[in-house]
Amino acid sequence: MTEQLRDRLAAIVGKDRVLTRAGELRTYESDGLPGYQKRPSLAVLPGTRDEVVAIVRVLAEGKLKFVARGAGTGLSGGALADDVVLLGLHRLKRIVSIDADNARAVVEPGVVNARLSAAAREYGLYYAPDPSSQTACTIGGNVAENAGGPHCLKYGVTLNHVLALTVVLPDGDVVTLGSADGESDGYDLLGAFIGSEGCFGVVLDATVRLERNPQAVRTLLADFNSIDSAAHAVSAIIASGIVAAALEMMDNNTIAAVEASIYAAGYPVDAAAILLIELDGPAAGLEEDVARVEQFCRDAGARDVRIASDPADRARLWQGRKKAFGAMGRISPHLVVQDAVVPRTKLPAVLAEIGAIAKELRVNVCNVFHAGDGNLHPNIGYNADDPAEAARVHSAMTRVMQACIDAGGTITGEHGVGLDKLPYMDALFTAPTMHAMCSLRSVFDPDQRSNPGKVVPIHRCSEWHAAANVRTALE
Amino acid sequence: MSAAISERIHAARSRAESLRIVAGGTWLDAGRPCPALSTLDLSAHTGVTRYEPGDFVLSARGGTPLEEIERIAAAHGQWLTLDPVGRAPGTIGATIATASYGPLCSAFGTPRDHILGCEFVSGTGDVVRAGGQVVKNVAGFDLVRLVTGAWGTLGVISEVTLRMRARPEVDRSVAITVDPNDVVKAWRWLRDSEFTPLAAELLSPELAQRIGLGAAPVLLMRFGGNEPLVNAALTSAMVLGELREQTTGIWNVLRDAHETMTVSLRASAKPSRIDATWAYALALATPVGGFASATLTRGVVRCSMPSMPAVSASEVHVTLERIPADHWPAAEARRGTRALDERVRIAFDPDRVLNPGILDV
Repeated sequence: MTEQLRDRLAAIVGKDRVLTRAGELRTYESDGLPGYQKRPSLAVLPGTRDEVVAIVRVLAEGKLKFVARGAGTGLSGGALADDVVLLGLHRLKRIVSIDADNARAVVEPGVVNARLSAAAREYGLYYAPDPSSQTACTIGGNVAENAGGPHCLKYGVTLNHVLALTVVLPDGDVVTLGSADGESDGYDLLGAFIGSEGCFGVVLDATVRLERNPQAVRTLLADFNSIDSAAHAVSAIIASGIVAAALEMMDNNTIAAVEASIYAAGYPVDAAAILLIELDGPAAGLEEDVARVEQFCRDAGARDVRIASDPADRARLWQGRKKAFGAMGRISPHLVVQDAVVPRTKLPAVLAEIGAIAKELRVNVCNVFHAGDGNLHPNIGYNADDPAEAARVHSAMTRVMQACIDAGGTITGEHGVGLDKLPYMDALFTAPTMHAMCSLRSVFDPDQRSNPGKVVPIHRCSEWHAAANVRTALE
Repeated sequence: MSAAISERIHAARSRAESLRIVAGGTWLDAGRPCPALSTLDLSAHTGVTRYEPGDFVLSARGGTPLEEIERIAAAHGQWLTLDPVGRAPGTIGATIATASYGPLCSAFGTPRDHILGCEFVSGTGDVVRAGGQVVKNVAGFDLVRLVTGAWGTLGVISEVTLRMRARPEVDRSVAITVDPNDVVKAWRWLRDSEFTPLAAELLSPELAQRIGLGAAPVLLMRFGGNEPLVNAALTSAMVLGELREQTTGIWNVLRDAHETMTVSLRASAKPSRIDATWAYALALATPVGGFASATLTRGVVRCSMPSMPAVSASEVHVTLERIPADHWPAAEARRGTRALDERVRIAFDPDRVLNPGILDV
């Protein structure tokens, strides 16, 4: 990092907004996965979109690499800057407008997810994608990761809620993707950009679709003697065609962690697994669906099914779920977080296999996940300072991931590849498929300066470039 | 089969030949004039390759007719909630390639909201397997959305994996005659209602008359769900006018009516501007003997006409949906990032082997 760069950036954002000292940069060394630590060469914290554009142009001029970061709550190491510039966007937190007539909002990238829903409440609207980190994570980060959340089962993920984005490309060009005012022409570059994990450019503003608050909501808590019966209940509910707003599972290890924490939700601590099921929509016909879901749970062997009595009770049940990762943090110094997805009919078999792997390798798996989507989060708490335990955890994770891929699944449903899941990309995608991904990245960022080294293993991209050069030479 | 497509593309590249991708052939007239030398025929490339009803996920080869998917899914009480304009032999590959949709988009969105994965053969002959077979997936960059709506110009879609849905327990359709000045009222009712119809289309008088619903504007709505829900929705809709019960077959009749016209395009703007968009669309369609139907909740109006009208610059955006080659306008307004589109095209089909000219990139 040269002093010249620091001075040029300071001229844009002010001296106090360019961080260079080790102590100041420490904050940015990790994201939500503290197992990874990388120190940026410098952090720059713009407060306006013009400042962001000016910064990106300075970086483009110098061909410098950079990593955009929102709240740093990601769970894939995706926002880590390894000795490159970190572009912090959390100060761009303006809700530019809420258009209640059309149920949409324009927001800056640093707007916190839950704050948008809070601001939309007075219009009877909310923003549906609800990652568990929603009280901290930002819309810009949600766009980068194509974030999900429990309620994406019925309402769709970030991709289904973004109408348009204004982005600055790594070369400094500002473009609009999608359209907030009617349809757009050409390729679906909006769709391609969402979930590109910061590799295609930086969001300056997002136009997002809001949902109308449902007329009625029912939240059920079903508890089971075995994970297998809970998994069968999930399969039965899905197969019935009833689309729950959310359908979440937590196993006994997770329940124990939550109930021992300040987030205690009153879950039955002796249950092998619980399902948290939410049904919403018009009041008409809702009780009929609730009754059917309750019956599916009982048929699968539920010991008890209870329905939240009031909004406060419902909020408590959800808090336990949403803070489960935090609760696990109390038990072990380190946590690995998985995010694989399997076909929903394979849930019982895959969960049984995960249990067997955990037993064989003597690791403590906590399952807390979006069962309705088949999106697993088998997390393992451990002590990374114990090399033998760390090795067993690593081995267990690799085997769990392979089991999910073998079941026809994928390696990440909502957290992104980042750094954490790079090693599994080769097992999931063919070489030509990763070559195609590299080609797409090159369209937006030919020099691969934006979030370098993430998503697609570097060897894949370099092979592709070598091959492309060879082809050009031959033609 | 994808290996054969790849060989064909390699051969075409080496001979500096271009290929027109064809399967059902129902969309041949739809895109810009495409001066390809040879045909890449996928009409034998059909069949459902994987279907696990319990997962609500189905995979099919690109040339599979929509009606085949419909038939197979119906046996399990499921359906693919895409109902593009076009004749029955239309294929899933063409539906995805053209991102075509119909009235069901009110509740279920467009092809980009349905497709979970696909296999395509790029213009360099690479066989790419994008996305997956699960309903939630963020592994790697999103090549699936990229080829959806790309009109085959980035790759030949050889297989797709789709999200399926359960057919509703009760599925009822009603027609309501509305006052021509009540477009906004109908839109507002839909926006504020707790009930989400499976489909809600406002038909121009000419269209209503053509499908036997009288000579005034008609709001055609379809509600699905359990019995109490559908009953409540229909009762609630009575504030808009008298309900005339229809069979679900009416939606095919509507689709076929659009199909009989030579040209169709979509006018769109913010949903709250639906009255202006509607007026704009009627002004285009009516003088040339055409008609229109509006998907009110999305602010989109489909106009179908015997010939291409003059499209003037307006705040309403016009998407050219199906225009035969000899009806294409000399110039058109285009929205989007052309420079990026060009770079995408070159990255995936550098020699413009696939459907050259069909998009303006």
